Amino acid sequence: MARGTSRRRGLHRYRRLFQVFFLLFFFTLLTLTFWPLGTLLMSSFLLADPLLAFNSVVNGIVRWEFLLAVPVLLSPLFVGRAFCGYVCPMGFLTELFGPRHERHPSERARKVLRKLPAFGLVIVLALIVFGSAVFLVFDPISLFTRSASTLVYPTVDRGLRLAGDLLYLAPPLQGGVDSVTEFLTGRLVFSNGLVYRLQLAILVMFVGTLAVSWLERRMWCRHLCPLGALLGLVGRMAIFGRVVDETTCTSCGACVEACPMDAVRTAGHATDCSRCEAGLECADVCPENSVHWGLRPRKQHAYDPSRRALLKAGGLAAIGGFMVFTGLGRIQRNTWLVRPPGARSELDFLATCARCAQCMKSCPTNVIQPAVFDAGVEGFMTPQMDFRRGFCEWNCNECGKVCPTQAIHQLPLEEKRRKVIGRAYIDHNTCIPWSEGHDCLLCQEVCPVPEQAIVFSTGKTLNAIPEELGGPSAETKLPIVIPNRCIGCGNCEYNCPVNNGAAIRVRSVTQTQSLSR
Amino acid sequence: MREMDRRTFLLSTGRWLAIAALAPTASGCARLLRWSDSQGGLNESDVAATDGAGSLTTTTDAAQSTTTTTPPIPQLAVIKGESPDLNVRAAVAQLGGMERFVRPDAKVVVKPNVLTGRAPEYAVCTNPLVVGAIVRMCFEAGAAQVTVLDNPTSSPRAAFQECGITQATQEAGGTIKYLTNRNFETIDIPGAEALDSWPLVTDVFEADTFINVPICKHHDGAGLTLSMKNLMGIMGGNRGRVHTKLATKLADLCTLVKPQLVILDAYRTLIRNGPGGGSLKDVEMPKLCVAGTDQVAIDAYGCKIMGWDPMKLSTVAEGARRGLGSPDLSTMDIYEGAT
Repeated sequence: MARGTSRRRGLHRYRRLFQVFFLLFFFTLLTLTFWPLGTLLMSSFLLADPLLAFNSVVNGIVRWEFLLAVPVLLSPLFVGRAFCGYVCPMGFLTELFGPRHERHPSERARKVLRKLPAFGLVIVLALIVFGSAVFLVFDPISLFTRSASTLVYPTVDRGLRLAGDLLYLAPPLQGGVDSVTEFLTGRLVFSNGLVYRLQLAILVMFVGTLAVSWLERRMWCRHLCPLGALLGLVGRMAIFGRVVDETTCTSCGACVEACPMDAVRTAGHATDCSRCEAGLECADVCPENSVHWGLRPRKQHAYDPSRRALLKAGGLAAIGGFMVFTGLGRIQRNTWLVRPPGARSELDFLATCARCAQCMKSCPTNVIQPAVFDAGVEGFMTPQMDFRRGFCEWNCNECGKVCPTQAIHQLPLEEKRRKVIGRAYIDHNTCIPWSEGHDCLLCQEVCPVPEQAIVFSTGKTLNAIPEELGGPSAETKLPIVIPNRCIGCGNCEYNCPVNNGAAIRVRSVTQTQSLSR
Repeated sequence: MREMDRRTFLLSTGRWLAIAALAPTASGCARLLRWSDSQGGLNESDVAATDGAGSLTTTTDAAQSTTTTTPPIPQLAVIKGESPDLNVRAAVAQLGGMERFVRPDAKVVVKPNVLTGRAPEYAVCTNPLVVGAIVRMCFEAGAAQVTVLDNPTSSPRAAFQECGITQATQEAGGTIKYLTNRNFETIDIPGAEALDSWPLVTDVFEADTFINVPICKHHDGAGLTLSMKNLMGIMGGNRGRVHTKLATKLADLCTLVKPQLVILDAYRTLIRNGPGGGSLKDVEMPKLCVAGTDQVAIDAYGCKIMGWDPMKLSTVAEGARRGLGSPDLSTMDIYEGAT
């Protein structure tokens, strides 16, 4: 199959360059997401994600930044799913780590797989109706941001720390290491070392997404990606597309083999415009030079679902949505579920949070952690405060600044400092002054509230252990929390010297009320 | 990929594993070496500290008697004035100028109080103008390097930035140092009564001059936080448990760590709701700066500013009992002036 002489003209030759550029751009933005730089533009990739924007707009969150998503949503009319082939970092990695050639699953399996995007969209729609954004766990941009935030940056943190430790052994280098450390602290290197919950699960999810491509080439992009499905839906109405000169086409099938997206149909003549990503591998391999990008492509969509099939899918999705939401009772009772300051009320939060972990990346103290099942299945990967990992920094409101969907409101610093997200409760059985009679004072020392939410009371208290049995004496300073002053920032819980569960712990106080919209 | 036979595979795996195992071992050995070095160096700096500043009454007075033209150096210099940085300059000048404490090409470590990120007007952290003036004076005295460090309770970058010390230090040419694990070594405290050993910042022991720059403020748990309590900032590890028998432990620490110069910033003082403060209602403005070399004396004077009986403050009482300095202000040579 001799290649023509003047093949490979046009922008598609530089597809790999585009992908590398956007990957670097993505990581530049994400790396710059640290205190106090945070601006919404750090989340540009998420804002340009039509699925995420659609879900937000349906939930009544309209912000002009979502206009970024409009060109992306309309692009399949003109350039196919170029977003998938040229921009999407997830698509790039799927391609990079996937097989180079077609894997040829059985025809039957392939038929089922080709139906998946339509079903996926129906499920997404049903979940939106049920007020759950849990499908965004699988949104490629959200998935990639989350994986990068929770896996790459902790690794970078560890690596830089280790490199610094090693270089520090050579005395002449210490000055250099110190100045680099000074520059990176709170940006790429953190005093406690970044750790996220569920890192292994996130890794498995990410690797799994890439690995399915070994069953079928780019299986994720072709059949599973919900954003790809949405863009494909628009792509069905494509105005421009892959046009084949049927007079010269010999139906040799080279393009069918070459297409990484399984978009070439009827031995080369027609195109599945819901999959074509305008990579034009088909044109590159065509020995007759009969393929080009042009007006009114001949379309053939593998699967045009009947109304009946869609109804079935919708019914299934509704049942699924119902099942997913049966976890709500649990949230109602779970007072350990403390959301970042400025978070919407629980039901709204579940409906709008993009699960992108952008807030976790921006948090300078690592207090924001992905929820496992504390918020129910529907709250998987939503941000939750873990006050043993960190505390809400008094001078920081980054999480709201970078949240692409306003699931966490962007509160001005003064307002954030007044935002009550929980309340600290002292466990008298483990608190050192209350149970052992020694002064401790740490929780009071670190409380940032100007009116002092933690004060000391001296003197006998009825429920304290008697002094002669090792309990507090009349002089012991016993910490107490003043309920209406505490904002639940968790400085006390973080710094409490009692190991494992601290003797002072923050519980959510608004959880039960906030369940009503 | 090239095919690999079992032998090559095992060999290369072995090599990589050996490297992976050796790196931490080597680093551990080197840390141990560095630690023993710092233990050795400790005694020298200890001696230097006593020579230079500790035994002020004997050596310095003897030096003074030979040069009769200059007045005797007071034990404490207290300056009142409108500008924090001029106060510091005047106070240090009364003690004989920064040249007395900082030799040319010296490495200087300055330890302000950076508890958490609060703007200067809340009197929670040492005044940035004071820190900036000290850094400048050190360089004027010929210091090669001035490092400003502390171990805040909140995120360090935010804390240093909010309290203005980052900017003040950098404008004066000094460097901020955010502490990480490699800056701490567990150091024995010989003759300690409660704190046998603790991870401490090694820079303090490696420095030629260590300057303690506390702010004078209320502390709900410890009474007042002055110069001795300010040394908690050079402690690493889990500081939570230190707070039981705090005064004894701080006195233990002060037997080992002897700042050559102590400057108490009392331009603004936090009179209640300390140490975190955060409300301007709790701030008073005595507009003072106290400089000296005896931490117990400085803390006693701090008590006077705050209206406390010095012996009622556990750190002063403990320091006096252990012979770390003199709390008796009535017998002390104190210069009190104004700018």
